[in-house]
Amino acid sequence: MHIMEGFLPVEHALGWSIASAPFVALGLRSVRRQLNERPEQRMLLGVAAAFSFVLSALKLPSVTGSCSHPTGVGLGALLFGPLAMVPVGLVVLLFQALLLAHGGLTTLGANLFSMAIVGPLVAAGLFRLGRRLGLPLAACVFAAASLGDLATYLTTSLQLAWAFPDPAGGFAASLLKFGGIFAITQIPLAISEGLLTVLVVNALTRFNAEELRHLPLFAPQGKQA
Amino acid sequence: MLIEQAAYGNRWRRVSPAAKGTLALGGLIAAFAAPTPAAALLVAVLLAGVACLGARVAPALYGRAAAPAIGFLALSGLTLLVAIDADFSWRWAPEAWPRVASLTARSLAALAALLGLVLTTPLPDLISLLRRLRCPELLLDLMVLCYRMLFVFSAALQDTATAQRARLGYASTRLTRRSLGLLAANLTLQVWQRAQGLHRAAQARNGNGALRLLSPEFDHARRDTAYAAFAGVLLILLARLAV
Repeated sequence: MHIMEGFLPVEHALGWSIASAPFVALGLRSVRRQLNERPEQRMLLGVAAAFSFVLSALKLPSVTGSCSHPTGVGLGALLFGPLAMVPVGLVVLLFQALLLAHGGLTTLGANLFSMAIVGPLVAAGLFRLGRRLGLPLAACVFAAASLGDLATYLTTSLQLAWAFPDPAGGFAASLLKFGGIFAITQIPLAISEGLLTVLVVNALTRFNAEELRHLPLFAPQGKQA
Repeated sequence: MLIEQAAYGNRWRRVSPAAKGTLALGGLIAAFAAPTPAAALLVAVLLAGVACLGARVAPALYGRAAAPAIGFLALSGLTLLVAIDADFSWRWAPEAWPRVASLTARSLAALAALLGLVLTTPLPDLISLLRRLRCPELLLDLMVLCYRMLFVFSAALQDTATAQRARLGYASTRLTRRSLGLLAANLTLQVWQRAQGLHRAAQARNGNGALRLLSPEFDHARRDTAYAAFAGVLLILLARLAV
């Protein structure tokens, strides 16, 4: 769930945009460097952005009986790296605002921070840690995708709680409220997304092993960037 | 896609995106500048009226495009109307009502400004506007590719899901999960296949980097942008002066 247009006070909207800006610059620099080495990746990132946009239209069944859509944060971070996900995420979020009125222009910075910066960084960090500890690939992928998804929604709750502290209990009570509401849908969704990502990576390792070897996180142990 | 349909089928289709962007910017500033909920609601109603009466966007379509955001607003508004005490018991907090009212009205006005822009302007026009605003070339390339490919992926997704449904692929929760996994994995494989195809096609045409496209020309762009700037300033003044 993205924060809607106009929902955040102006100083928060500006603040999150400023906080996201250096990551966008870093992401663009990283992608430019990647494209200099492998020009064919230009098409790959554009196509991946379209794929993420379409993936968010999929309805996942969740344990509470409701349906929700996957974020693709974990899968994207695993396939293209967390820094490349920043420009890709920016394009996807902008398209969601402009084509679906989902999210918004004034809240783009805040949504970018949670969906395209925190989520992918957590997912990629956990994946790397799991692989270093020698855990099985499926367990690493599941943890990265599901906890990356949860980190995204925890950040959104944090952003909302910071902007709108509870009149009685302040920031902590507000975080509990927003976090509690998101948890009802997001915890089952995170589990579903983790399972789905494991299935996708299984299919990729079976049918696209060569391409996976060129991706930074799936490089053979010892050759990682 | 609902918004895309309206963007290509409204009366302002040939109006310069710079003019529509200027009006939307004025609307966003007015939404944040409005001192009271009534003033923000006035901005929302005026912007919705301009989109429906001026650009002839069907009101039903406008409502359907706004519905998901209004759902988010209702849920968040209700959350803010609940207070949690130190002993973790919750209660209704009527004292939060003024804040919720002004937040809801501001969000509705900002949403109306966004919808006014996106329901009247197709995405390629907005991308060309971003190009004129000197957005980084790499991001523009990603947008052009993403826009072109998302319809291809949508069609592939629909076709695959239809084929799975015809074979009872979604008959139970377990089968649904399996089918979705296969569907997502298949689409993920297509990311590489389609990207390789595009790269090969670009190389065959001596493509060596940025994707350059012709920018659409709009008649009376300067005049329309001046009108939009005037309307935007008027909207901001109205928001500031309305009680």
